[in-house]
Amino acid sequence: MLEPIKKNWRILLLVVVVIGSSVALFAPGFGPEPAPGENVSEAQQGVTNLQYGLDLAGGTRVRAPLSGYTATDVAFGGDTPESVADAVAAELDNASVRNVGVVPEEGAVEVTKPSVTESQFRAAMDAAGYEYAEVRSGVTQETRDETMNVIQGKINEAGLSGGSVQQIQSITGEYFILVEVPGQGRQEVIDLLEERGTVRIDIAYPDGNGTAVQEGTLTQGDFETIGTAAQSDRGTGAYVPVTVRNTAESGQSPAHSFQDAVAQRGFADAYQTGADRCGYNEETGEIENSNPCLLLVVDGEVVNSFGMDPGLADSMAAGSWADTGNFRLTTGEFAEAQTISLNLRAGALPADLDISGEGTSSSISASQGENFRTYSLVIGVLSVLAVAGMVFLRYREPRVALPMIVTALTEVYALLGFAALLGYPLELAVIAGFIAVVGTGVDDLVIIADEVMSEGDVNSKKVFDSRFRRAFWVIGAAAATTIIAMSPLMVLSLGDLSGFAIFTVLGVLVGVLITRPAYGDILRRLLTVK
Amino acid sequence: MVAIEVPEVNYTDYSNRQLAAVPLAFLVLALAIIGGWVVATGAPANLGLEFTGGVELRVADDASGDVEQQIQTAFEREPDSVRTIPGDDVVVVTFQASQDDPEGLANDLQDQAEAAGLTTTAVDQVSPSFASDTARTAIIGVAIAFLGMSVLVFALFRTFVPSLAVVASAFSDLVIPIAAMNLLGIQMTLGTIAALLMIIGYSVDSDILLNDSVLRRTGEFYESVSRAMRTGVTMTLTSIAAMVVMAIGASVFGVGLLRDIGIILAVGLCADLMNTYLMNVSLLRWYKFEGVAR
Repeated sequence: MLEPIKKNWRILLLVVVVIGSSVALFAPGFGPEPAPGENVSEAQQGVTNLQYGLDLAGGTRVRAPLSGYTATDVAFGGDTPESVADAVAAELDNASVRNVGVVPEEGAVEVTKPSVTESQFRAAMDAAGYEYAEVRSGVTQETRDETMNVIQGKINEAGLSGGSVQQIQSITGEYFILVEVPGQGRQEVIDLLEERGTVRIDIAYPDGNGTAVQEGTLTQGDFETIGTAAQSDRGTGAYVPVTVRNTAESGQSPAHSFQDAVAQRGFADAYQTGADRCGYNEETGEIENSNPCLLLVVDGEVVNSFGMDPGLADSMAAGSWADTGNFRLTTGEFAEAQTISLNLRAGALPADLDISGEGTSSSISASQGENFRTYSLVIGVLSVLAVAGMVFLRYREPRVALPMIVTALTEVYALLGFAALLGYPLELAVIAGFIAVVGTGVDDLVIIADEVMSEGDVNSKKVFDSRFRRAFWVIGAAAATTIIAMSPLMVLSLGDLSGFAIFTVLGVLVGVLITRPAYGDILRRLLTVK
Repeated sequence: MVAIEVPEVNYTDYSNRQLAAVPLAFLVLALAIIGGWVVATGAPANLGLEFTGGVELRVADDASGDVEQQIQTAFEREPDSVRTIPGDDVVVVTFQASQDDPEGLANDLQDQAEAAGLTTTAVDQVSPSFASDTARTAIIGVAIAFLGMSVLVFALFRTFVPSLAVVASAFSDLVIPIAAMNLLGIQMTLGTIAALLMIIGYSVDSDILLNDSVLRRTGEFYESVSRAMRTGVTMTLTSIAAMVVMAIGASVFGVGLLRDIGIILAVGLCADLMNTYLMNVSLLRWYKFEGVAR
């Protein structure tokens, strides 16, 4: 039972790889991650689980550093991060404390306002009396991570499937944020990224004959968590769950002061039953009944008004709400809830993307991407046919040539499986890598075939094995040089080139470890004279 | 049906000098072309957008025939180059780097194209400082790749002359396609750099095969060479066929990147045939018959 498995393990391994690739390519569950509000079949591009990069699907890529300066190895002298930020901001005429970040773990102070120059920042650090090792351009790791989260949030909330954001480091050590959004034009993406709103919640309440507004009862920083839009359990509405911070370093916490403000404006008296509504008219800015309202204000404009659930209003009046600090912003439609969540969460990037200064952007229309996808498939098939034709002409023996072509195709199939498994988007450069793999793959198979068939018939396994090993030395040496030549490109940030290098190296590895030994086995079975 | 027979070359008819003269002449010619490019344009090749910075628009050609004229009048700035991609009905308009606000320029140009009734299918914008970074990274990448390959080859064979033969032939395989790119007007982009790196991989294959056959196997020199040639020439011809088909297919469909890669590799592989079986063989023969004897 075990003997045939042991004897043919190379071929069996190849079969396992092919089956594994088929699963990765076609089975549900390995497909692209759908964006929120999108189902799995919408996220899938075509019949396979493969994902396509920008040049094959259309879309926009933006790569830019975050503008700002960071002072490293700062001696804080025991001051709290807040007081350091205050002191540095006080020395900068054109920046406020919001533009100054202090990260004690990294020992860093950063300024994220683009108009602040390096020398101004140095002067401010000196004037505030904090010593530092050096000032570099760019922002801290923490701010980069946070910016990525915000951008990812923007992409998700906008329902753009396949959009991605990542950090890359250039050879000079500078960090770039790379954003890729399939199916969107350049301007749309840049607008989405640069959209920078200020968000706050105001309370509108009846005052004498008119309406008065208490501004800024909650601002963006007061929220501890902001959930994603969710469909309401009952009825047709949707909501965004939020939590307000109920702790403060000093003084009253945001949750407590919000609770006091709500209680003071008489929400509990106004909202007695579920039928009581907020009567705020966004056009006139007046309340049309006598109920106070919460207003969601983005960039100074009221975008939504909310009444309050009687239970919530009561718990605020009783002073118990701030213990948890949660509430839900409820709306009639899911799409509206999505917008609210986006406004609350991803309104602003912690630091600006410097697209015009040091960035790049490129965009390809969806129709062109689709054309390229078809074309590159056709070109790939034609190239493989050319290889097959040459191999047949040379060997004129289907026993040798046919397994050769099948083996080479298996390599590409296994690579496609890898791409689907890793969720690596296919691009033109990756396709070029595939063609390179077929080329080197067939080269190596030619070496094996010629070596094995040289010097007469193969009349024993021993003869075959010794010839096969000799052939494998050359193949191994060639594979090692290719891997060495490609490895720097896998890590350098050269955009398309890393995808090409990764797939060429993967292809060489799959070839040397799996497919080419299997071809040797197949050939042995076909050629060994019993 | 035609069969591919790898011809037996009678190397004994030629001296080492005669054999090496042809590939060396090609190498010198290629270096001269690249040198000329540096003198004339300041760069060793026609640098693409990724390495110069600027804005590139792909404008759809609606086959009315006057798109190029429209382009000449549509933009406030004079385009630095206007190229038609045959087969894809697309005109590529390039504007060189402007130090002031390339992003705004990209927006303006797109608006201007739209106002003139042109449909842009793709926009690329690269800032000059980023472009020079990319160029430096790419050069370092290719240099490391070449160096790594050389070190490995020396480690594999542990003899100076045969290893040098492999490295020299790989160098020439890189230089000749670059010169050909200049003559054919192919731009140096990240995609074509990928093709040049592929040449390193491909060309080393046949060189290693030859060295292995001559140095590590038993048998007489000419027999070893012809054995390696039978396999090596088949390999290279197969790859050339694939690349020529890819280049033709891609130019019919207008996929510029794949066409360029195909052309570069086809040229590089032809150069490799010449370098391996003329220059490399002569170096190995010298090493075998004279170098070792000394």
